[in-house]
Amino acid sequence: MTTIVHPREAFPLAPEGGRIPHSSEAATGPSSRPWVLRFARIPDAAQATVMPPAVYDNELQMSRGLYDGPLPYMQTHNPTVPDGNVNNPPPLDEGAKD
Amino acid sequence: MPTVLVIAARDDWPTDRVVKALTDGGAEVFRMDTAEFPQELTLAGRIDARQGWLGGLTTAHRAVDLADVSAVYYRAPNPFSLPATMSEPERRFAAAQARAGLGGVITALNCRWVNHPAAMSRAEYKPLQLTTARDCGMTVPPTLITNAPDAVRAFVGDIAGPVICKPVATPVFIEGDQLKTVYTHRLSEDDLSDLRGIETTAHLFQAWVDKAYEVRLTVVGDRLFAAEIHAESDAAHEDWRSDYAAHTYRTCTPPDYVAKGVRRYMDRLGLRFAALDFIVSPGGEWTFLEANPCGQWDWIEYATGLRISQAIADELQGVPA
Repeated sequence: MTTIVHPREAFPLAPEGGRIPHSSEAATGPSSRPWVLRFARIPDAAQATVMPPAVYDNELQMSRGLYDGPLPYMQTHNPTVPDGNVNNPPPLDEGAKD
Repeated sequence: MPTVLVIAARDDWPTDRVVKALTDGGAEVFRMDTAEFPQELTLAGRIDARQGWLGGLTTAHRAVDLADVSAVYYRAPNPFSLPATMSEPERRFAAAQARAGLGGVITALNCRWVNHPAAMSRAEYKPLQLTTARDCGMTVPPTLITNAPDAVRAFVGDIAGPVICKPVATPVFIEGDQLKTVYTHRLSEDDLSDLRGIETTAHLFQAWVDKAYEVRLTVVGDRLFAAEIHAESDAAHEDWRSDYAAHTYRTCTPPDYVAKGVRRYMDRLGLRFAALDFIVSPGGEWTFLEANPCGQWDWIEYATGLRISQAIADELQGVPA
């Protein structure tokens, strides 16, 4: 017997394929497209933070930069807003939900 | 040795800040991402009549005994990384086993949580947020959630002033190879003249609340960190997420009735961390909008100097406020 409640609810992970699944599909017409999507916008790329190149350091248990300078986390206090680039989704935007 | 288990994506850099605060304070930390399971992370958990879960979580770099885990920081980890040679049915089966096995053992740990995943999942639902906030004595805007165009017209007719719409769940998606988002939108008469598409899914409408400014209230355990967000552009005035560059921030102290309501809210939903959004009217009344149990806080810490990362580290170590 299967359960009704999906166990994902009790141990939430990012979905397979990434937090924001990629799609090349175009928008459909007004009778099948959710109404609120009429107000969808491509976010302002000019406000996106460029993340410095970094690698995860297993000893430090945090990322470190490839070059001299402050640790990456010290350079990401500006919010990374969605920048319209599907190859660079906004990992530091408003959390898993927003 | 008591150990703080940190479960987060490796590139979640705000979590680095928490790890740094923990290790600088002398805490033992075991950081993992669920994406490391099962190929880079081994679980060997045991339980019997004499004792609770013990045994190891082990990577190539470190190990922790489950019995030593004194706290867990859980923040949006990645899906399991299963062998590429698996068939799709095998992958689905293995992912479900991993979730119930690794996830089950971890969520069964009796320790401090920021936040327990089940509490976090439940608290993600906006309708529950609104009803809980209301029950806890906070003011919430009149709200409609519907897929009925007639209900939208009736709601707009009942509200004396402007009405906004916003997504009930995630606002970000990709279509046509472009990332798009839906911010809060104040409705015009034109918007309401064609409601085709309302019936396709749930939509959220809310009375517009006149605002002097908004507040991001970050709660960590018993600590409240409140920051006024002043919007300097029309777009940011409607939804501050739409124009981060147009903000100025000031720390503030929530009124007592809000602080008490927020603490009741956190207790009711079993949360030790949340990022709450409020509108403050020109008359000074605070209206609850929503609460993200996995919200972002790093930029607020930088902009205001509020020591949120240290508070998270303190909460994980049981340091009193």
